[in-house]
Amino acid sequence: MKTDDLIDALARDSETPRTGLAPRLAFALIVGLLLATGLLLAFFGMRPDIGAARMMVMMKAGFAALGAGVVLPLLLQLAKPGRAPGWRIAAIGGFVLLCAGVVAAALLGGDPSERFELWMGGAFPWCVVIIPLLATPTAALLGWLVRDLAPTRLTMTGAALGAVSGGIGAMAYAMYCPVDSAAFVATWYAVAIALCAVIGAVAGQKLLRW
Amino acid sequence: MIEAETHLKALMLRGLAGDAGAHRAFLTAVSGNLRAFLRARLRTAPEDAEDLLQETLIAIHTRRDTYDPAYPVTAWIYAIARYRLIDHWRRRQRRGEHIPVEDARELFTASEDEAVDARRDVTKLLAMLPQKQRDSIRLVKLEGVSVKDAAAQIGLSESDVKISTHRGMKTLMRLMAEAET
Repeated sequence: MKTDDLIDALARDSETPRTGLAPRLAFALIVGLLLATGLLLAFFGMRPDIGAARMMVMMKAGFAALGAGVVLPLLLQLAKPGRAPGWRIAAIGGFVLLCAGVVAAALLGGDPSERFELWMGGAFPWCVVIIPLLATPTAALLGWLVRDLAPTRLTMTGAALGAVSGGIGAMAYAMYCPVDSAAFVATWYAVAIALCAVIGAVAGQKLLRW
Repeated sequence: MIEAETHLKALMLRGLAGDAGAHRAFLTAVSGNLRAFLRARLRTAPEDAEDLLQETLIAIHTRRDTYDPAYPVTAWIYAIARYRLIDHWRRRQRRGEHIPVEDARELFTASEDEAVDARRDVTKLLAMLPQKQRDSIRLVKLEGVSVKDAAAQIGLSESDVKISTHRGMKTLMRLMAEAET
């Protein structure tokens, strides 16, 4: 096909492009959260004392939502061609500092003999494994959306996409997570989200190509 | 390039608003710029450049609704073209083909604008020189013709060409120094 003919064909195709970004983004995030919750209920179930502990569950889910929220502007910026990340990286740095502050305050305020227990939650932090699993539906939905935006830096975009998905996965995980220590949550939820970012960076190089 | 940005953006926005004629003019203008951009980077495979140009035009067309007018349209276009180019090289590499160094090197030039600006500056400065000096410099320094051939083309003696080139270069240096301050 000659390029001039292609231009003719494209110019004739005046059909209004797809639905806007905001509804598709909302769809990806909400459906991703619902699917993650479904996975959680199917394989792990809710924590038995969910009624009594609902304040803690809400706070942990809120923390996870904040984690997703601070990375979302970066993802949307990277997903479009030719945009510099700018302040959006600093927002993530701010979140990491907040996590460090929460951990420090919680540990220094507690009894020294209990510090390790408060920090580790008394067992292996399974959230680091489970949150990435719960993040996969959101990652797939966001990937479908982001590819349409033509990202040109796939590794960075994949990392941001992974982190946002990790935050959504962590929101669902909060309904199961039995540990309520602030030092635990601010450490291991953040580590789980960072791990999702690493997985996203590696997978993004291949899966986000368009 | 600023002019091109304003012009292209106006066409793009009118196209987005439903003006098919403006959209066609936009795609035509873009394809001219991008053809030069891609050919310069795919000197060893000009037929690939045309394929890539078409892929890039399709990408620009199908994704034009996600373009945000708050950002420069040229940056958006070249980011898409550069991505398609890298993707093309990646595909070739996976097939075990080597990328010629002279093609890959082009990837690292900071910006398309710089080369264009430099070329335009030289043309502008050359225009300020007398005819004899201008022709001598253009042939000897820019086109790499030998002094002997240049003399034959302009109709001067060889020493005349040498002296004109030398004087012209001195004047150019002075003009550039003045332009910088």
